[in-house]
Amino acid sequence: KWKGEGTTQNLESIVIGRCYNYIRIVNPAVGEKNCSQIWEAFKNAFINKDPCNILPKDYELFINLTLHTIPPNKSLFWENNQLLVNSFADRGRRYMSLGDTLFGFIGDFLNWCGQADSHGLDYESCPTTLECENNAVESFWRMASITYAQHSSGVIQVLLNGSAEGGSYPQPGFFADYEIPNLHKGKISQIFIWVVDDLEGPDLESCGIQSVKTLETRLKTLGYDVTCTDNNK
Amino acid sequence: MPPQQGSARMRQRTVLLVGIAVLLAALVLAVVLASLLTHGRHEVSPQMLKWKDRGTTKNLQEVILGRCYNYITAQHPELGDKDCQKIWESLKDAFIYKNPCNITPEDYQPLMELASHPIPCNKSLFWSKTGDLVHRYTKSNQNFLTLEDTLLGYMADRISWCGDPSAPGINYESCPKRSECESNPGSVFWKMASKMFAEAACGVVQVMLNGSVEAGAFRSSSIFGSIEIFNLDPDKVSKVHIWLMQDIGGPQSECCSGHSIQRLISILEERNFNIICEDNYRPVQLLQCVHNPDHTDCRLCTNST
Repeated sequence: KWKGEGTTQNLESIVIGRCYNYIRIVNPAVGEKNCSQIWEAFKNAFINKDPCNILPKDYELFINLTLHTIPPNKSLFWENNQLLVNSFADRGRRYMSLGDTLFGFIGDFLNWCGQADSHGLDYESCPTTLECENNAVESFWRMASITYAQHSSGVIQVLLNGSAEGGSYPQPGFFADYEIPNLHKGKISQIFIWVVDDLEGPDLESCGIQSVKTLETRLKTLGYDVTCTDNNK
Repeated sequence: MPPQQGSARMRQRTVLLVGIAVLLAALVLAVVLASLLTHGRHEVSPQMLKWKDRGTTKNLQEVILGRCYNYITAQHPELGDKDCQKIWESLKDAFIYKNPCNITPEDYQPLMELASHPIPCNKSLFWSKTGDLVHRYTKSNQNFLTLEDTLLGYMADRISWCGDPSAPGINYESCPKRSECESNPGSVFWKMASKMFAEAACGVVQVMLNGSVEAGAFRSSSIFGSIEIFNLDPDKVSKVHIWLMQDIGGPQSECCSGHSIQRLISILEERNFNIICEDNYRPVQLLQCVHNPDHTDCRLCTNST
């Protein structure tokens, strides 16, 4: 029916398990959370609805239940370099990327969607973003990105891929459309941009040129103190 | 009033009063009992044994189940036939209601059988005193697998569990340390899982050791030194490659020519293994350099040769 993969098998056990894994072991500093309630809020965002009509605000309750402080100076935004980000962030100990927050940790690498007029999850197929933008997974990450940006403070790091085809600073993109507009200028002291090429990859972009220049200009116009460096050691 | 009716009424009143008193007493007794029973249920049963280490991880069932499904669904779909519910049950049955100082390998046999899976050759990565670094490495390079990257290790990593003969059979308050008793649920588990992990290894195997530890990089008392090297199969394993890592800017307590490494090499040679030792294996060192980019050991050549 749809072109994308279906819902991940055993989604409920995975979501609840990840929730407890996070609060008991990965980051117990976030305190006590009701993981069953969190699963219900997550599910109710998209169950029994048209899978092409799920909006970011449908996840509001889920976000409210999973929200926790993001320590200042630890936010790490990125585009097109997830593996590098994971090594660099060191499981939330050096930096806390979106995937290291409770709400990001729960959804990472999973897929899901529901169906209109049915309380079940669709395991057969789910709409891709090309088929319809307002699908369950896309709206989840939009909401998560918005929230992550809103709660970031202090010194912000942005990790871009200098070898990415289509530009290091993709537009449209999550960072461009959902994170930058939701940063709170008063809370942010500095933005460091790092442009890192893939090893043995082409050096397609650097600071001061093309899409990275667009990003630098945009942030400076918004009034941020911006520094850009090529190829982080 | 006639005296007879008066005394009858007096008797009635007495009976009534006595009845009320009994009722009240019964009510008070019921309330006291109820509060004692519910209070007792929220507290640790006074008969539960007390130990020195942290207790069973809260929400153990949800965490184990979630990790199991996460592993077979999101990370290793080739293991799709594993039954996570059965795996959880077999783990629970291994220790629930048992004295946590009396655990045997037989207790874990069903779990080991349900959760074990083949390991591709040339990918086994053993480690000792390098827990942090080795797992950062396997997270970024999926060509190697530590025990904690297999289903069994992944489920149990950084979690604790132990039972107790009294209800509810699981002790969330405390669990025995190794120094209190060796046959505790955690130690027996990891010994068995390590033995099986070593037995399953084939081709070239790797081991990451710590050259900045004062007591020596290789210790016979470690799980690697006491269990894993003795369960490698010389018919399956062609070579052992030692990566001896020193902390960047840290003490250089030992390198490949050091005493404990020579001892390890002789033990392995006696068992007919081929061994190579490499000081500061570069791919892993680069990962260490993420934390210390300005150190001389971390400088990259800027001029191409």
